[in-house]
Amino acid sequence: MSKSLSTPQNILDRSDQLRRALDGDFRDQVVSSLYGEAQRIAERAVRRDSSNKWDLDQRIDRIVTSPVFGLPMMILILAAIFWVTILGANYPSAMIASALFSLEHQAALLFESWGVPDWITGFLWHGVFRGLAWVVSVMLPPMAIFFPMFTILEDLGYLPRVAFNMDWLFRKAGAHGKQALSMAMGFGCNAAGIIATRVIDSPRERLIAILTNNFVPCNGRFPTLIMLATIFVAVDFPPVFASIAAAGAVVGVVLIGVVFTLLSSWMLAQTMLQGEASAFTLELPPYRRPSILRILYTSLIDRTIFVLGRAVMTAIPAGAVIWILANIEAGGTSLAQHVASFLDPLGYAIGLDGVILLAYVIAIPANEIVVPTLMMVYLGADLMTELTSFDEIRALLVDQQGWTLLTAVNLMLFSVLHNPCATTILTIWRETRSARWTTIGALMPLIFAFVVTFLVATLWRALV
Amino acid sequence: MENSWTSWLFLIALAVVALLFWPKTGLFVAISRWRELRRRERFEDALKHILAWEQRRQDATPESIGGALGLVQSSALSLVADMEERDLIHSTGGALKLTAEGQRLALHVVRAHRLWERYLADDAGVPMERLHRAAEKAEHQLSSERIDALDAHLGHPERDPHGDPIPRADGSLEKDNAVPLTDWPVADIAWVTHIEDEPDVIFHQILSTGLRPGKSVRVIENTPECLVIDDGVQEHRLVPVVAANIQVAAEPVNTERPVGLRSLSELAKGEAAEVVELGSMCRGFSRRRLLDLGITPGTRIEASLDNPFGDPRAFRLRGTVIALRKDQGDQIWVRSIGEKTTTKDLSASDCYTNPEEIKRTAENAAQGISEA
Repeated sequence: MSKSLSTPQNILDRSDQLRRALDGDFRDQVVSSLYGEAQRIAERAVRRDSSNKWDLDQRIDRIVTSPVFGLPMMILILAAIFWVTILGANYPSAMIASALFSLEHQAALLFESWGVPDWITGFLWHGVFRGLAWVVSVMLPPMAIFFPMFTILEDLGYLPRVAFNMDWLFRKAGAHGKQALSMAMGFGCNAAGIIATRVIDSPRERLIAILTNNFVPCNGRFPTLIMLATIFVAVDFPPVFASIAAAGAVVGVVLIGVVFTLLSSWMLAQTMLQGEASAFTLELPPYRRPSILRILYTSLIDRTIFVLGRAVMTAIPAGAVIWILANIEAGGTSLAQHVASFLDPLGYAIGLDGVILLAYVIAIPANEIVVPTLMMVYLGADLMTELTSFDEIRALLVDQQGWTLLTAVNLMLFSVLHNPCATTILTIWRETRSARWTTIGALMPLIFAFVVTFLVATLWRALV
Repeated sequence: MENSWTSWLFLIALAVVALLFWPKTGLFVAISRWRELRRRERFEDALKHILAWEQRRQDATPESIGGALGLVQSSALSLVADMEERDLIHSTGGALKLTAEGQRLALHVVRAHRLWERYLADDAGVPMERLHRAAEKAEHQLSSERIDALDAHLGHPERDPHGDPIPRADGSLEKDNAVPLTDWPVADIAWVTHIEDEPDVIFHQILSTGLRPGKSVRVIENTPECLVIDDGVQEHRLVPVVAANIQVAAEPVNTERPVGLRSLSELAKGEAAEVVELGSMCRGFSRRRLLDLGITPGTRIEASLDNPFGDPRAFRLRGTVIALRKDQGDQIWVRSIGEKTTTKDLSASDCYTNPEEIKRTAENAAQGISEA
């Protein structure tokens, strides 16, 4: 090697020079030869037995991506999952609730007999513990059913087919078909869904997927939706069809969320994130037999326990805050009442009330605690009523608090459209590293929620 | 109730005040920052203008800057004075010249502009007509480090999507590779890039033929006496002295369909074909992606699934199923191999380009190193 190449700079310069001398399709040639070599080795070393697994896969694919059955099947599968979740979670939820609330009751009595001051007992057991009990009983059973079923779909390889079916819609909205995958993850947790957008290569389309992921109701919001569907929708149907009607209502809300995902994607693609559709390549992997043990592990340990743990961690301080708000009085009424009546005009304008808005403010760290917060503020500090069945909840909301069908509808809409939880906002920040996009990601859904619920409330009051 | 309304008003007033005066993000700070940015943009646009005129061997003047930037005379003059004060330009008898520092800055902006256009076209898929405006904004916001990173990411491209050379990191700018029409090979399609406007007589003669920058022509005959060219409408005869004043280059993109081939999108469901090549419109990231998925010349590919909306469709190749949108399928050219052909019939040697070729290129490179 000659002397002139002795320094790294010279080598860099030389390589720079040589790079310019390369053909334009040099990369093509390299890749082609790599594939050629790989194929030659594969042909020598791999023996294929003529199994008909491939044909079976193809036959399944023909059905699930069929022009006629493809989309209805997607919706049916989603509805079936919700139905099983609602049906299966109802009874265990009530059992866990009554067990935990009787524990609260016993413990409070025990504290009393020891002579512990009232405010400590109240704070610990009627504040912190009750918040915890609500979260566990409302969330654990649906999650323990929903997550494994969803993991089965994932494991089977069905989700890429969903992305394949939906891509055309996303492309019309100026987004990427793989957004369907991150949305599917969003059903579990929006923060996870936002991390899943990494599969989208184009920065523009990825940003769209990040900013709109929140319109998929996550697991923390399902309890609210399921409760409302059960109380307000299912009640008008005979018992046999009640759970089906509830599942149908939840699917309807999810579809509204999907419509808003597409709408907001389209709006972003028309304004802040203009550009053409990028390359769309999506592999449809062969179907696999799900391994039951792994599914139970990933869905119960990784997801259920993780999400529940997070909910519990936020429910404990939230329970404490609610108890303080409900028990510290100023001028004869509790702080919670003060804040709620302050928020009331705004709540009324969008068909809700001040307590619901207060619950959403307290629930910013985690959406899971919206319903528990609602209940605790409605019940007040010293009410010992334990709500263990949907009938009792209905009695409280409709008869005592004056909820109407409008409240229920708007709460469902608000729940799907409102701002993401703190964890999700933090994840948007981590993924985009931009204060601007994080702010847009947090505020855009909130504006949507207010506008939509305001319009619905105004129209409803004008027409009904 | 009344109480809550006053609190609402107070809160709104508080929010407005915060919005206006918040340090770093308040409206006032934002406005002053925006003005500073505008000023820098003007500097950079003016430098770019002078550089462009220097390359055309013309002298930029305060008037020409005012014209290019849309400024009134007095603003243009004060802009020039400002730049002189900062030692970016110096004027010699009314003509403005870049100093070394001004030249460096101007090249930096041009480099940022063209690389950004390349990036938008290749990676973000922004259409051609929107590139320029987007790059006009971005060029003022990219740091040298980001530009270098972008350059490496894009594989050190040499030209922007319009065919203009991209300045290199060391500030060198490749001469435009446009050649006089007289030197263009016969029968190849050429793209008119530039028409010399001096001398006047010749310039007008060229204009009267209807040739303009951006038109494509084909040289039919080239003799020392006469050049015959075809612009797709009619034939023109030009004496070489005239033709030499027309600068041409290779056509930026070849959108023509290769003869006798079909695009992947045209395959019926269940039909199999063999990949011939990726279209020249398919570049940058999307080309890399398609190659990485194994869509290389010679590969057997079969249209296997349609979907509810008809787009995208899924194709089966190399034992996997891959979904592609129609606009990608349109860029992959295939040749029919008939229904009966099985994968077995395609021997390994059909499926990849000669490895010798690769080896040769590598050897040449090695030789180049030892020669230096």
